[in-house]
Amino acid sequence: MIDLRIERWQAWAPGLDNAAAWQAWAQAPHAVSDDGKLQPACAFLPAMQRRRLSRLARMTLEAAWPLCDDGEQLPFVFASRHGETTRTLALLGDLVDEQPLSPTQFGLSVHNAIAGQWSILREQRGESVALAGEADAFEHAMLEGTLQLAAGAPSVLVVVAEELPPPAYAEWIDDVPFSYAVALRLGKTTATGEAPTTTDWQLQPGRHDDRGTPCAWPHALDFLRALLVHEPSLEHVWKARRWNWQRSR
Amino acid sequence: MNAPTQTALEQAIAQLIIDTLNLEDLQASDIPPAQPLFGEGLGLDSVDALELALALQKRYGIRVESDAKNAREHFATVANLAAYVASQQGAGDGAH
Repeated sequence: MIDLRIERWQAWAPGLDNAAAWQAWAQAPHAVSDDGKLQPACAFLPAMQRRRLSRLARMTLEAAWPLCDDGEQLPFVFASRHGETTRTLALLGDLVDEQPLSPTQFGLSVHNAIAGQWSILREQRGESVALAGEADAFEHAMLEGTLQLAAGAPSVLVVVAEELPPPAYAEWIDDVPFSYAVALRLGKTTATGEAPTTTDWQLQPGRHDDRGTPCAWPHALDFLRALLVHEPSLEHVWKARRWNWQRSR
Repeated sequence: MNAPTQTALEQAIAQLIIDTLNLEDLQASDIPPAQPLFGEGLGLDSVDALELALALQKRYGIRVESDAKNAREHFATVANLAAYVASQQGAGDGAH
């Protein structure tokens, strides 16, 4: 059994950029319209520091930024199943056209580039991890976050982000209804001074043998939904894995 | 003091810098020809230099070897870049 506290959360999707909008979404989940262009402003950064941020990076930073206090050092867990599909497709296009590759696109297409940019821009010098998982990448990221707590960190930042991939990927990627980033600040359940807004959860990983129904929404969004509508429990299954969430406070 | 006016080539290069490096909220006229591009000036860095060299190659068909002694000088300002592009174009396309 894994215990963790959700100290704070922040999320971004097209048209869903504040707590009230997410509360309304959680009451009636739906696929929001995503034109692939609308992106967060990241107004906390000067323009010169924003210039290399992809849309996925902007979404990640917009969600994570307010959860880390100025001068605070937090372990950072970034998870994305598909990563920088837009940058990757641009590079593949240049290769097909026998054009030289953009050094910026190439350097920032790797999976840990966003964690690296977070480290530089938020002046974080501690642990950071970039994960790619399947439909339950969210649970694996939360597991990694709790491992960081167990290793001694008082709080940890976990961000799950996906960008709606370019149409060329449509045949293979069907689990991103719209671009989103969900940032959760995890803490220990034994910590004192819990605010009324914090919630405690137990995560129980188990074996799954049935051909169960996969969750209708990406797991990170479904967890946020359950958090916002005060659901006492939820279960996510994927292949041989069963993830049981119970709210304990 | 009025900023010196840009030549057409200087303006085109300033715009190329803005477009290539995704400099939001800047216009070509915001980069004076004599302003240093790197460090304390506009604030570009070494990755920008690589990106810019690639853009110049694509747009004007000129190569800037990274180990060229005077590359640093060519890239110092928009005016220097314009002079370098003009000299390379004047040298003809058959140089390689």
